[in-house]
Amino acid sequence: MAEETLVLFKNIRNPKYDKSLSAYKKSGGFKSLKKVFGMKPDEVVQEVKESGIRGRGGAGFPTGLKWSFMAKGTGKPSYLVANADESEPGTCKDRELMLKDPHMFLEGLMIGCYAIGCHHGYVYVRGEYFPSIKSLNEAVDELYADGLLGLDPMGSGFNLDITIHTGAGAYICGEESALLDSLEGKRGHPRVKPPFPAVSGFNGCPTSVNNVETLACMPFILGDNGVEDFKNFGPQNNSGTHLVSLSGHVNRPGVYELRMDVNMKDIIYEFGGGIRNGKKLKGVIPGGSSSPVMTADEVDVLYNFDDLAKKGTMMGSSAMMVFDEDTDVVKLLHRITRFYAHESCGQCTPCREGTHWSRQIIRDFLNGNGSEEKLLRLNRVGGNMMGTTLCALGDAAAMPIQSFVKKFPEEFRKYYATV
Amino acid sequence: MFSKDIQTQVDKLLSHYPIRQNALIPILHLAQNENEGWLTEAWMQHVADICEVPLTHVEGVVTFYTMFRLKPPGKYHLQVCTCVPCCLVGGTELLEHTEKKLGIHAGHTTDDGIFSIEEMECIGACSFAPAVIVNEDYHEQVTPESMDKMIDELRK
Amino acid sequence: MPLFKGFNMPVFDIDGELVEYEPGEKILSAALRCGKIIPHYCYHPGMSIVATCRMCLVDVVDMGNGRPAPKLQTACSMDATEGMKVETLNPKVEEGRKLVNEFLLVNHPLDCPICDQSGECTLQDYAFEYGSGKSEMDYSKRVSGWRDIGSFVALERNRCIQCSRCDRFTREITGTNEFGMFNRGHELTVDTYADRPMTNKFQGNMADICPVGAITEKEFRFKRRAWKLKKNRSICTGCSTGCNVTIEHDRNEIFRLKPHENQSVNKWWLCDEGRLTYRIMNERKTRIHQPLGRVEGKLEGISWEEAYSAIAERVGDLSALPEEVLALTDTHASNEELFLLQKLLKDIFSSDNIFCPLPTWEQSESEFFINTLITTDNTPNRAGALALKIKGDAKSTKLKKAIENELKVVFVLGNPFEAEVEVQEKIKRAQLVVHLGTFHNSWSEIADVVLSGQYYSEKEGTFTNKDQRVQATEIAVKALRRTRPEWQILMDLSASLGHGNSYSSSADVFNAMTEQVKSFADLSYAEIRLFGKELNHKTKDSGMKVVKAHT
Repeated sequence: MAEETLVLFKNIRNPKYDKSLSAYKKSGGFKSLKKVFGMKPDEVVQEVKESGIRGRGGAGFPTGLKWSFMAKGTGKPSYLVANADESEPGTCKDRELMLKDPHMFLEGLMIGCYAIGCHHGYVYVRGEYFPSIKSLNEAVDELYADGLLGLDPMGSGFNLDITIHTGAGAYICGEESALLDSLEGKRGHPRVKPPFPAVSGFNGCPTSVNNVETLACMPFILGDNGVEDFKNFGPQNNSGTHLVSLSGHVNRPGVYELRMDVNMKDIIYEFGGGIRNGKKLKGVIPGGSSSPVMTADEVDVLYNFDDLAKKGTMMGSSAMMVFDEDTDVVKLLHRITRFYAHESCGQCTPCREGTHWSRQIIRDFLNGNGSEEKLLRLNRVGGNMMGTTLCALGDAAAMPIQSFVKKFPEEFRKYYATV
Repeated sequence: MFSKDIQTQVDKLLSHYPIRQNALIPILHLAQNENEGWLTEAWMQHVADICEVPLTHVEGVVTFYTMFRLKPPGKYHLQVCTCVPCCLVGGTELLEHTEKKLGIHAGHTTDDGIFSIEEMECIGACSFAPAVIVNEDYHEQVTPESMDKMIDELRK
Repeated sequence: MPLFKGFNMPVFDIDGELVEYEPGEKILSAALRCGKIIPHYCYHPGMSIVATCRMCLVDVVDMGNGRPAPKLQTACSMDATEGMKVETLNPKVEEGRKLVNEFLLVNHPLDCPICDQSGECTLQDYAFEYGSGKSEMDYSKRVSGWRDIGSFVALERNRCIQCSRCDRFTREITGTNEFGMFNRGHELTVDTYADRPMTNKFQGNMADICPVGAITEKEFRFKRRAWKLKKNRSICTGCSTGCNVTIEHDRNEIFRLKPHENQSVNKWWLCDEGRLTYRIMNERKTRIHQPLGRVEGKLEGISWEEAYSAIAERVGDLSALPEEVLALTDTHASNEELFLLQKLLKDIFSSDNIFCPLPTWEQSESEFFINTLITTDNTPNRAGALALKIKGDAKSTKLKKAIENELKVVFVLGNPFEAEVEVQEKIKRAQLVVHLGTFHNSWSEIADVVLSGQYYSEKEGTFTNKDQRVQATEIAVKALRRTRPEWQILMDLSASLGHGNSYSSSADVFNAMTEQVKSFADLSYAEIRLFGKELNHKTKDSGMKVVKAHT
């Protein structure tokens, strides 16, 4: 059972692979792009739609549908921006792709550009990813030298440039409209929507923002029989393989490429090798720090978008953070909330004030000043951020608070029960 | 203000974007590197002129992003991640250990100007936690012992 | 587009009431235009929409397609659509407002007793209206303190609710970019970076648009509680733009001028220099308090009757020829006053020897509308003088020719040609010099009779601005007891000289003027009172020079 399904990692798992362009080509790279250049852009979008791939960045929005929303005939250029601002705590999968097999992702990006008629693609990489940035820049240079980028690659007549853009440290820039603001050279403040980026994105032009992993799937999907194979990797509506970043108290943390019909239990105990030091599992944050927490007895579930949604949580960016019986849940929540307080852009009221205030309340528990009243208040303040903010950061900060309070109330009470 | 080499990079960057303002953040990175890891008002003004934006805009951007610094860092800038996955496996303890070892708190620089510590939010090395970035290099699954060794190596 | 009966525009439903909207208009904008109340902070009709304060949450129960919006929506950013149904008063909305308000108050100091904004603070109003009345926030608040950020305004950062209106003002309205948003999250500040002082000439507007007491006018700080102020509509007389203002006063003392929205003139704005003109309205030291007559070389207080009969007697004795009579006026006088002075000369002396200074002036041209508000013509009624065909030219050559005659009777209204010593020297030799004015100046020094007039804030009148729009002022404060409005003085003077007119008000004079002066034909006082109206017959102003505004 405990075996990966290698699509995105097929080269990375090959110990002899050296990530150079020639090595990538030898492994069958750029065949899909060649095929795509022979298709009409609409046909490419159609195939992506049929594959059923959902965005791997966290929201799980169907990629083909997103591309089909791109405004046409505006007289403005269209843009494709790869979202490589991987900052959701627990997530480190895009980094692997960019670092160890940049060409697969870049081929995907080029396919995407062709599909939506974009002649200049951007990769927005978070600034801290120095090694990935270096790796991508080298790969792009190789592509230019090879003629795969620039004027008329492969005789397609489709001119294409790619620029690697570095961010500078802001979680919120993973939100697509904030990312575009940042790419434009501004503070990364999420924008009012509508208009959506597909209508008015980068510099006011139609733009699609897609996650690195999503784009990296494109060479496979557009390859021979790719659509059918891709669909077969998981249950309906949850097609393809995905990269699971497993972290926390497991024996073998790491990034694993899995089908979408693998049980979470198996991920923890088979792939992750179980809880370290022989401890018992206490809970899992299943999809990046913003997803509602799950207790140990909830983890017998298939790890995909829909099955987790049925459990009242979400797969997000496929980042599982496992914690054992010794973990202080209140401290953990404090750390999560501190993260959101630090990363709130501050422009909108509930998030700016709510993230900070809830952090202060949790700190009270840690300092021995907790009370039943404060527990209720924490839940209320968290809930008040839910659905009232401009972007999803308010929700992202609220979900862990509400789920921790709901699922581990006794842990909070421990802090003041003796008084 | 940029050296000739870097000015070439700046010009190249500018050519990659439809509007000069778009290149602001990458150019600020170059400026920060030129000025030993931090930004002064003169540099911000210079970048503002290059990108044709008001100075206040540059200041707004610089204070928004955590990677831009307004005071000089140490020669080795230790960025210790204590965010959720790192925190679960000892990131916080690693930070405390580093602080004790160097005798400074996060956000400060040692008197000799060699080390500075910064407490980081998630740096995206979660499956290889706890992680530390030293200047531009990632160090993964760092233990207090390996941290000690690294600091001693760097100090040489 | 299907239109409802009786409406010219498409409509949607707010709380069961049909509201018109222009295609593309947002819910909030349409609602405010129709007099609906939806609380808001960051939204300002003159600036871009950021939807960040989250106060204008409404419940869209039907998005126009039969489906409700999944959660509360911000009215400022959501397009109104045909058939949309919006609820602004249901429990869900009330809950939403309550929680946003609670968040806003988390770090806002409760220093209303010492805050100048108190009484006109939307945070205070909405907290009272929609707040829960108590706070569960029991930690110390963010403290960042007072900042001196400009010549005209002060910044109390503790009170800031980060609505970013001021930031957008310096970026989008003045283009001066002094403000910005710095840091982020809980630390976010909206101010000038590192206390750099502002340089724009419109800082007062930032105090106006600040919904709380974070930005206040230095000039007004700690002077009067806002709720004590009574307000009257008027026109700023600082220059020929004629910005609409409200004069705010208490106990007959004027405390400040605030802009009054007029989309055809100043939109929402007013320059700082204009705001400062309130000072002179309270000026008493140089004020002419009562009619004065020259007795043995000295000006002494006399009664109105004594003044009028003395003038009538002298005029009778002198029996001046038309060219021996002269009237000088500045362009601070209202249309009515100019008209009556001109009429007096014509009726009594059959003279048209009336002059005013008409120097060249500059109109700024700029991509930022607000810069066009400032002109170098510092008088409010140049265009009125032009419309009435009062004589004058850039270099006063016509006047200099006219004073070559032996002058017998001279009337001076206000303070014209104040810098022209040569003119004043010549006129000094006239047999009778009558000065009508509010303040002592070089004319009252040489006058034989001084008639005490009133300032704009004390009387009614109309002014014609640079775009030849006629606008009216209201009486804001009570005038000094022994002064009279100039239109009345001129009417009385005319009567005592044997040519009676009986106008009961400035409006009466205005109506007479519309009948007798072609430029003003077809206007009615009622029509111009609210937002003014442009002249139907315009006069070309050859003294205007368009220049680029330098920012």
